[in-house]
Amino acid sequence: MKKLSFSKTLLFLAFGVLAILLVSVFIGRYPEPYWMSPKILFQDQLAQQLVLNLRLPRLLTALLLGMVLAAAGSVLQMVFRNPLVEPGFLGVSQGAAFGAAVSILWLNRHPLVIELSATFFGLLALLLSYLLSTRIRYGGWVLRLILSGVAVSALFSAGIGILKYIADPLTELPELTFWLLGGLYSVTWRDFFFVLPFALAGITTVYAMRWRVNLLSLNDDTAFSLGASLSRERIILLVMTVSAAAALTAISGVISWVGLIIPHISRRLFGASAEKSIPAAMLLGGGFTVIADDLARTMLPGEIPLGILTSAIGAGLFIYLMISFGIKVRRDG
Amino acid sequence: MDKILSLENIHFRYYPDSPNVLTDLSLDIPAGKVTAILGPNGTGKTTLLHILLGLLKPFQGQVKVSGKSHREYSRKDLSQMIGLVPQFESIPFNFSVFEYVLLGRSPYLKPFQLPGEGDIRITEDALKSAGISHLSEKPVTEISGGERQLVHISRVFSQQTRILLLDLENQNRILRLLKQMSTQGKTSVLTTHDPNAAIFAADYFVLMNRGNIAAQGELNQVITAENLSTIYRTPIRVEQTNGYTMVVMDKI
Repeated sequence: MKKLSFSKTLLFLAFGVLAILLVSVFIGRYPEPYWMSPKILFQDQLAQQLVLNLRLPRLLTALLLGMVLAAAGSVLQMVFRNPLVEPGFLGVSQGAAFGAAVSILWLNRHPLVIELSATFFGLLALLLSYLLSTRIRYGGWVLRLILSGVAVSALFSAGIGILKYIADPLTELPELTFWLLGGLYSVTWRDFFFVLPFALAGITTVYAMRWRVNLLSLNDDTAFSLGASLSRERIILLVMTVSAAAALTAISGVISWVGLIIPHISRRLFGASAEKSIPAAMLLGGGFTVIADDLARTMLPGEIPLGILTSAIGAGLFIYLMISFGIKVRRDG
Repeated sequence: MDKILSLENIHFRYYPDSPNVLTDLSLDIPAGKVTAILGPNGTGKTTLLHILLGLLKPFQGQVKVSGKSHREYSRKDLSQMIGLVPQFESIPFNFSVFEYVLLGRSPYLKPFQLPGEGDIRITEDALKSAGISHLSEKPVTEISGGERQLVHISRVFSQQTRILLLDLENQNRILRLLKQMSTQGKTSVLTTHDPNAAIFAADYFVLMNRGNIAAQGELNQVITAENLSTIYRTPIRVEQTNGYTMVVMDKI
């Protein structure tokens, strides 16, 4: 009975996201600010071009971005048994941006090369944070993880700083600055199809393994006694989510807070069990990011970088949730 | 004695260069009984339990379950056979009691499978036999410590293993439950530092001291004033009243 009502809720959410996507097609600044009447689509060639080649790929990429960040955030929070983790906290975003920067400066500006480089450095950052946290000799698990994540993030942002300093101010620097602000303004179909396999692989893996994710959030000895192959399952989940998040970061730049706040909201609405909270988080994340991107491209005549908007809205929501409900951070082991 | 778990000449240390926690330890656990592993704090009881579970690998020696080495079992088979209630469990997310106890069904599910009707029924039964059906919808982070232990026990019940390993603080209610389970042919191994708790629940006694077995066997062979006084390093008397054995310490 209960299960049925949840799948209905999920279906409802999915329709909601679909509706947001549909409405978003007509939101923009052409031909006039905020809204394009659907009628124009049948008459105006430029409008058709705009919707087909600019808005659609951008909307779909925003959807994937939100879904992947929310999925990665949920998984990281549960696997690390820490409700305050998101890809950015573990240095993954900064690592990915650094990888993208290295690729722009020294390797190749082809999207695939940038993505692979971003993914590689994103994973490297995760690995460094994890290893470092096991080496710190004081503090609880949360503190050690956050400390090492902060250190690794700082290391990579210093790296980005150096790269910015030596970059050619006319050609390379503008492109680099783009990563740090985070936005989807240059997304084309080609970009979308580059990230699609990474995103689908990550989303499908997380969705398929959502029940197992619960097990990994228990104490090691309990999880082991319940038959989990801890290191193998953790590595599969981390590699799949982080590579998807890193690949999307290569397209979008650093988009923070979605991966932190959406899993919290989802758990609050649908309970802690990942069986429900992960699929719901993906839909909520997708919808949230599409709306944030709508605002980013329509509010001002110029574009507001998406990363700034998600930070502002995300941090606002976070503060609201903390004050009104208290986000539970229990750490006793 | 029909032994279901046996340890043969186990040597264990946590790091290659650290001292042994367990040295040349051999032990047999009888099937279908409650076995108490008794000993002072820090003597290696939890380590021993983790070795029986297979979480820790002995540096030397053999662990056998039903006569076969741990290594001959897959992760799935072993987890359908041995369940664990750890001494302490931190649960950072607000699972409901039901969602948490349902996790006991994971050994029976394929990697991508969700629990079905049967699993839900077994979980409901597990909650019922631990007497906490009324807590089902409560968040695990919002119940008392005693209730929390019963929730952990329910999780092992829903796991339906033949062997239960329990790192417990004494709680009469739980000890009674274990006794009931042994009449259904389940084997329980529990650790405690309280001799009276052991006497209350166990049929078979293992006395541990500094990483080794000081004595094992029936009540009157193991729970003697001499044995207990040696391992607890304090004078202890064992008294019989109305056929019930009780361990008493002199007043300080």
